[in-house]
Amino acid sequence: MKIENLGERLTVSEISELTAVNSGQFRERVGAALPSASGVVEIDLSQTQFVDSSGLGALFALYRSTGNGKNVTLRLLNPAPEIQQLFELTQMHQLFEIVQR
Amino acid sequence: MKTLLICPARRPAVPLLAEDRPLAALPILGEALVAHWVEHVAGLGAKEVRIVAPDRADAIRAIVGDGGRWGVRIEIIAAAAESSATEAASRYRSTDEPGWLPHPHDFIVMNHLPGATGSNLFESYAGWFSGVRNWMPRAITPARVRMNEIRPGVWVSRRARVHPSAQLNAPCWVGDQAYVGRGAVVGPGAVIEDRAVVEQGATVIQSVVTPDTYVGKLTAVANSLAMGQTLINWKSGSSLRVPDPFLMTSLARKPKATARRARQAVGAALGAFLPLNLLRTWNYRLSGRTSSLKPPI
Repeated sequence: MKIENLGERLTVSEISELTAVNSGQFRERVGAALPSASGVVEIDLSQTQFVDSSGLGALFALYRSTGNGKNVTLRLLNPAPEIQQLFELTQMHQLFEIVQR
Repeated sequence: MKTLLICPARRPAVPLLAEDRPLAALPILGEALVAHWVEHVAGLGAKEVRIVAPDRADAIRAIVGDGGRWGVRIEIIAAAAESSATEAASRYRSTDEPGWLPHPHDFIVMNHLPGATGSNLFESYAGWFSGVRNWMPRAITPARVRMNEIRPGVWVSRRARVHPSAQLNAPCWVGDQAYVGRGAVVGPGAVIEDRAVVEQGATVIQSVVTPDTYVGKLTAVANSLAMGQTLINWKSGSSLRVPDPFLMTSLARKPKATARRARQAVGAALGAFLPLNLLRTWNYRLSGRTSSLKPPI
């Protein structure tokens, strides 16, 4: 997992999976790097093969820690169709901006 | 009168539909596709129905039996590949054989529902969904006493359990022994098949939930076919194996064959273990010496 902090833009990429195995680490590392004031957080899911409920929980925790997305714009980039389906099934797509680039 | 029904073989456009059962055995509003067809041809006066099954003939036989339920006699013919109606006519009917239903009811490929020749169920997942949704107003027959149209376009089985706060938006169908929980939204365009469970706060719109499928609390199934753990978006064709059973899963009991195989595996393991243990006991007693190992039970 790679985290780049570009001022007001935080980009998280190279996430092969977001599951019980690494969701704790994701929460800690992304939580620590969150912009203190307003900004944009982009989670690049283009390389993500698998997300389970722990991964969804980590994303939801991120949403909560940014004041329910009020302070920070949260974007999920390029999720695979099946992961997009999982977001729709769990209604996570209503919390995040999902962008295909 | 005679007729011949041809079951569709697996179709590349809809591989997931045929994963657990042959396409002709897929449930549509409480009945398998093949059962809808047998009922239809029986209504046309057929007394002898031959069914050509290129895929898992036993599953078809388990559904239709000997045909007594419809007052017809059924013969299942297992075939290696699917035939077209023309091929079947030349293969299964001798030229001078009388007593067949008139064309086109004599040889029928079951890739659509009766009377819906324009809509091919197996050309895409969207075709399947559209066929099932459009069949709702036609699925009630005099024999189906359990289904009840509680208001226009809303069909609910008398044995379904629907929480008073659940919203049922027409057109929708809630099958036998299905459950719709508190605050759930079903429809428009939703089919909840027999024994399916739609939990509290869940939403099912423009979708089919197949029999024995559990849809968890607050989940949203839209433009999809929910089949056990498999979720297929019929618009995009993408599919997902849902990773967590509390979101979506199958409630169906494992087939007996699987249980039998499991028992056989346990039996084989015990069989391998017990002689070894008996041998150890025998050695222990014969040698009469103290072993550092505890004596076997």
